[in-house]
Amino acid sequence: MLTGDELKRYDRQIMIPGIGEKGQEKLKRARVVIAGGGGLGSPASIYLTAAGVGTIRIIDHDRVELSNLNRQVLHWDEDIGREKVNSAVEKPKRLNKGVEIEAVEETITEANISELVAGFDLIVDAMDNLPTRYLLNKAAIENNIPFFHGAVYGLEGRAMTIIPGRTACLGCVYRGPIPEEKFPVIGVTPAVIGCIQATEVIKYVTGIGKLLANRLLVYDGLNMKFTELVVKKDPNCKYCGHQGVK
Amino acid sequence: MSIKINVRPGMQHLTNDQDVVEVNGSTVGACLNQLVQQFPAIEDVLFDKDGKLLNYIDIYVNGKSSYPEELAKPVKGGDELYILQAIGGG
Repeated sequence: MLTGDELKRYDRQIMIPGIGEKGQEKLKRARVVIAGGGGLGSPASIYLTAAGVGTIRIIDHDRVELSNLNRQVLHWDEDIGREKVNSAVEKPKRLNKGVEIEAVEETITEANISELVAGFDLIVDAMDNLPTRYLLNKAAIENNIPFFHGAVYGLEGRAMTIIPGRTACLGCVYRGPIPEEKFPVIGVTPAVIGCIQATEVIKYVTGIGKLLANRLLVYDGLNMKFTELVVKKDPNCKYCGHQGVK
Repeated sequence: MSIKINVRPGMQHLTNDQDVVEVNGSTVGACLNQLVQQFPAIEDVLFDKDGKLLNYIDIYVNGKSSYPEELAKPVKGGDELYILQAIGGG
């Protein structure tokens, strides 16, 4: 049930066909893990907080550095040296007091991942490396939690939505590890991709639109174009292959 | 009719800033070879030292993955290739 203030606050999105008060109530009940409080986690958490997602858990283990500030807009000059996750929850809390936002300062590992996502409905991939993304992908499949992938490099971005048991997963897209490197990035790129991830979360929760399922969206900011690639569920995928192809 | 190869942004500095390169060829491999002839610096980011496509590179033909046997995948004039490489930044 929405309060009078919530009806006012979310009036413009309740007007969107398909969302309505029922959709807004679904958003209020939703529990979302945002894995990473950096470039992708910043826009994702800001816009999911603004949209009225009921509970958000942000997980990160880093401290804020000066070199983060060109893109990780949750962190400001005064936050340099602080635990990133504490800085990351502070601003969304001020944006919308009606959202429960919790900070978890942990390194995501194979040993703790299931515990970190237990009790949550959705996982947003806001990591800065591919190996941890695969851990999240695996945990999402094992725990049957929808997983919203995003990644960036320079002025390039990717997004895909993974529904365990129904769609292709991250392991169906990429094979083999990529060489470790310090990746280039400018803030507008994770802003675009993080907002696409947040859009997908809102659509999934409210049950509207067509998800980026079995579709990898490739964003080319250099030439300002989007390309869509078809991703098929791989029966030999080491993460989701055991679920069969439906 | 030629075949268009769409180059991901992170590789466009190797193709003289072109996001699309037109080539001719009857297989994905032949098209990539033409791309390498035009832009030799791209070879090292696509192939290993034995000439095999790197395992984190995928070639999509008309939006669909050509894996496995990517290089042998037949193509025809008007087809569009996309070079996809895994990225992990966030």
